[in-house]
Amino acid sequence: MTPAPWLVSFASYLGQVTLHSVVMGVIFYAWAHRIRLPSGRTKRHLLALLLVLPPITAAIPGRATVEFGERLAWLNSARLLAVPLPGGLHLTHLLLAIAAVFAALTIWQEVIPSFERVDRSAAAAPASLTALARALPGWEHCLVLMSPGEAVMLVTTGVPGRPRLVISRGALRTLTGPQLDVAMRHEHAHWIGGRWWWSHALFGIRLLQSGNPVALWVFREYCLEIEIDCDAIAATGPDVAVLARVLLTVYQDTGPRDIATRQALRRRVDVLLGGGPANAALPAFTVLAASGVMLVVLPWLV
Amino acid sequence: MARVTGLGSFAVITLLVLAGLRAVHLAVPIAFPETRPGPIAIDTLDDVRRVVGFAPVIPAYHPAALGALPTRITGILSPSPMVTIVWQTPDAYLSVTTRRDRSKPPASPLARPLADGLDASWWFDGSRAHALVARDSFWIEVETSLGEQELRRFVDTLSHY
Repeated sequence: MTPAPWLVSFASYLGQVTLHSVVMGVIFYAWAHRIRLPSGRTKRHLLALLLVLPPITAAIPGRATVEFGERLAWLNSARLLAVPLPGGLHLTHLLLAIAAVFAALTIWQEVIPSFERVDRSAAAAPASLTALARALPGWEHCLVLMSPGEAVMLVTTGVPGRPRLVISRGALRTLTGPQLDVAMRHEHAHWIGGRWWWSHALFGIRLLQSGNPVALWVFREYCLEIEIDCDAIAATGPDVAVLARVLLTVYQDTGPRDIATRQALRRRVDVLLGGGPANAALPAFTVLAASGVMLVVLPWLV
Repeated sequence: MARVTGLGSFAVITLLVLAGLRAVHLAVPIAFPETRPGPIAIDTLDDVRRVVGFAPVIPAYHPAALGALPTRITGILSPSPMVTIVWQTPDAYLSVTTRRDRSKPPASPLARPLADGLDASWWFDGSRAHALVARDSFWIEVETSLGEQELRRFVDTLSHY
């Protein structure tokens, strides 16, 4: 069966997006490592650019012809993809298999969990807790629920205008009043400053690149940076130590096999106790210039 | 200068990565000739199958005026694989192009059937005689300076190398 032409074109476009994403990811990663880029706004912007720019540069028309690839392009990935492998296979087949694995990983770890209702078995929270949440700006109509789990967990769901805060029984039992307060402010920070919209828009762009390992890594790093940003908004002065204690409590509550979550929590504590994120690590002009260079260079890679 | 802090290292890293990519672009076809869409210069008839993926079709009939060995063998892999084999001397010219493609290559509007029962046509273009022949899943184009009779002999004796 021959696939439809539009499907072939779309698959080819996604391949180009991945190529640009990998090249840009290598450059930005080496650059961030070289200048020891700390957590903060600059890092968030670079990560967002890594998700947004490749779909744009890969869409520039006139690059799909054999003549462009062979005569004008700086790199023609068709040559690489045609490298033979044992068993009559080519490098294309190996990369397609990797993309399929990452697409499955995305569905399993990101798409399915996003449809799961953490508040399915939740009941109404104590009135005092609801009052505390609704005192936060923009959360006057926030639905506050309590889930029966014993794990220390606070999470927000819903959409702007109809936020829902779910607090586990374990969190209520373990955290002190000031700790609950600062943890709630952290969750609230996710809903202000356009963070909800940015995160969801980038998640959509990331889903377009489901088979791209770089996009998976970048989006997770971006989410961690958002957590760090929300930590900084929620906790200032003496509250820093309180929030750090909350994070360490969640760390202890997380199983040792969940290495990624524990690493992320450790990094949040390190940044929090190290003075918070550096929001102007690089001048805006530098980030703009780097993006401009990528916009000019990447279309020459096909 | 504070406005451009960090751009120097970015430029160096970008240049290094681009240099690496260019090296890959140039090195891969040398290491794996079959990865280049073409045109690819092929040394001998024995190498054709390895490069384009099929054995070329050539005429068994071979007048001495053409010389023993082909003067040029060129393969192209994309959009459809094909190979052109040329014999050329000051007195004679023959080129045979074998193309693995379902779609029929363009023929002259003056083309006439070459023989009954054979999916083949032929025509003159200046002093050169052309023939276009369908054989299995291949299209074979024959071009020669040796005239119609020789063209027919070439077509009659076409077979896989």
